[in-house]
Amino acid sequence: MKARVFALAAVLALVSACQKSGPESHQAGGNPAGAKTGPIDFSTKSGVQMVYLPGGEFTMGSDHGSPDEAPAHKVKLTPFAMDKFEVTHAMYVKVELPDPSHWQENGNMPVEQVRWRDAKQYCNERSRLEGLKPCYNEKTVDWDCDYSANGYRLPTEAEWEYACRAGSDEVQDSVDSNTLRQRAWFRDDSEKKTHPVGLKRPNAFGIYDLQGNVAEWCEDAYSATYYKNSPLQDPTGPLNPPHGAKRVIRGGSWRSSTDECSPTFRQAEATGDADACFSTDFCGFRCVRRITLAEVEQLNKQSGTPRH
Amino acid sequence: MQICHNVSSRLSPRRRMRFSFILPLAGLLLWGGASARAGASLRAELNKLPFKIVYEAYHNNNWDLWVMNGDGSDPVNLTQTPDLNEHYAQVSPDGTKIAFVADKGEGRSTIRSLWVMDIDGRHRKKLVDYARQPFWSPDGKILGYLPQQYHKFNVMDFYTKGMMFYHMATGKITPHVNSKNLWHLYNPSWSADGKWIVATVHAGMGYGHTILLIQADGDRIINLKIPGCRPCFSHDGKEVAWGANDHELVAAPIDLNAANPAVGPWRVEIKDPANKVYHVDWSPDGHFLAFSRGPATDGDPTKPGTFMAACEIVGVYAPGWNLFAVSATQDGVIDLTKPDGSKFIQLTHDGDCNKEPAWFTGPRQQLSARR
Repeated sequence: MKARVFALAAVLALVSACQKSGPESHQAGGNPAGAKTGPIDFSTKSGVQMVYLPGGEFTMGSDHGSPDEAPAHKVKLTPFAMDKFEVTHAMYVKVELPDPSHWQENGNMPVEQVRWRDAKQYCNERSRLEGLKPCYNEKTVDWDCDYSANGYRLPTEAEWEYACRAGSDEVQDSVDSNTLRQRAWFRDDSEKKTHPVGLKRPNAFGIYDLQGNVAEWCEDAYSATYYKNSPLQDPTGPLNPPHGAKRVIRGGSWRSSTDECSPTFRQAEATGDADACFSTDFCGFRCVRRITLAEVEQLNKQSGTPRH
Repeated sequence: MQICHNVSSRLSPRRRMRFSFILPLAGLLLWGGASARAGASLRAELNKLPFKIVYEAYHNNNWDLWVMNGDGSDPVNLTQTPDLNEHYAQVSPDGTKIAFVADKGEGRSTIRSLWVMDIDGRHRKKLVDYARQPFWSPDGKILGYLPQQYHKFNVMDFYTKGMMFYHMATGKITPHVNSKNLWHLYNPSWSADGKWIVATVHAGMGYGHTILLIQADGDRIINLKIPGCRPCFSHDGKEVAWGANDHELVAAPIDLNAANPAVGPWRVEIKDPANKVYHVDWSPDGHFLAFSRGPATDGDPTKPGTFMAACEIVGVYAPGWNLFAVSATQDGVIDLTKPDGSKFIQLTHDGDCNKEPAWFTGPRQQLSARR
């Protein structure tokens, strides 16, 4: 596969001023205070750090990558918020779910060996914990998603890519290992395991580990040809996928190559429902939710979280 | 379970030699049409023995415990409780009591509790809430169980933390001496000498997934380093059977008296590449194995009292699953896809989520009394 990553150099330049930050820190991150159209950091009612993303139009996919990344196409997204860090063991314990992870020695390490449905269950439990309306109907076979609900859910593939691109539409043909090391735990620097979240540099939106560490579940069913018919506004993947359809994971993981960590690289993974001992120790996730700017400001007012 | 091993690759050279004769011979026998007679003779043999099997099944939107004769005849619903979903029956070593778990409620509000009742279904008694996977001490005086990790329900089988002992005579509950270091265990089985408990661990105790030997009254833990899950000691403690992966059940010797107990080469392999095979259990005399078999599905959330997950997990709807029995007296491979079934018989036929068989010895009239 032809190596490529969009505007990584430009993005790195944007974040060069950002300092390393862990999940307990509020240092690096989104837009300067008061920039209402840019990313805004905030903490949820249960203390999870998120970044408000203004949405808008961006270019999704690539004409220079794998066939399933083409064509590059325009997508418009409604504003949403995304977790600043991958979901960690400490976050998982908070909602009283059985942590299925292989590596659990540090509470700030991301959960892995997580089935697609486990991730959705976490989303619903976190919604309940914060008094939000759960997005997933657990009485349907695939736990159908109500995108209008204000609770937590997995990102759509488009939301994930928008967050990872962090404002860049440009595509660069290749990225070297040394460049990627600055922001990602991947094959060349991971020592074959996950690492605590937030130790590498964030992207220009102030979000950490979107590339590498654990690959992240998305809500969408995978289709290699979806981009040819993808709607412009808030695409959510193929409609009515068959039960058992593979779902999209994004961002690559501790075991991925530089190419597989590309923001446009797409990967399909079995959901793991029928496997009692799901041992895919590179699959994790992070959450998103619908939220208004007014709610973000209210949450920041209540928590006293400094905005960046 | 992901790992596959062919039985012949795990056998000692001597046993491999034996297999080189046994397999072709078995093939000849199968193709020679002797199999139907062999299957019939296995059923006839079980019909003569005083063995019974208790198991769980899903009928009329409800899980109940059923009991049948060892040859599959005369099934009877032991529990008949439309408001409770009973699972995971474990018969006491003397064959007089059944320990089991019962689910009440729906979703994450479900409460799974540990119960015990007489072998005929009478005198039910709830022992403790938020408890899972009971296992009897060899003298029947202690009922071990695994506390649920948190009170909010989750169907995953490794959702446990600690190990507790319920003392049948006094009702007192004491923790295993190393309880605080035991978590994410499931499917425990107590050895005949009372010294060891074998169990699976998943994503816990520093392990990804393996089968552990746990000292019953100490803190020694041995990783048996055998692939798979759900181990079960034979009643004499000399063998262990378990699921090597989704499609293979195996039995092998284990030397618990060794300084470092270890599992020997696979002696019996039951395989079915098309269906899942799970929940293996030894007959009281160690001559037979019963197990569950069915297609790989992942539940049905619209069915009351069921959950979405792999169908072998307790509480997950498993359409098409039935119970089978094999003879474990001869070494070798038992291929369940051979239609002649010379070495195995089907015990249930309705496919109504028949799972988790547990053998015991008991007179036939106990069943008819309940009717």
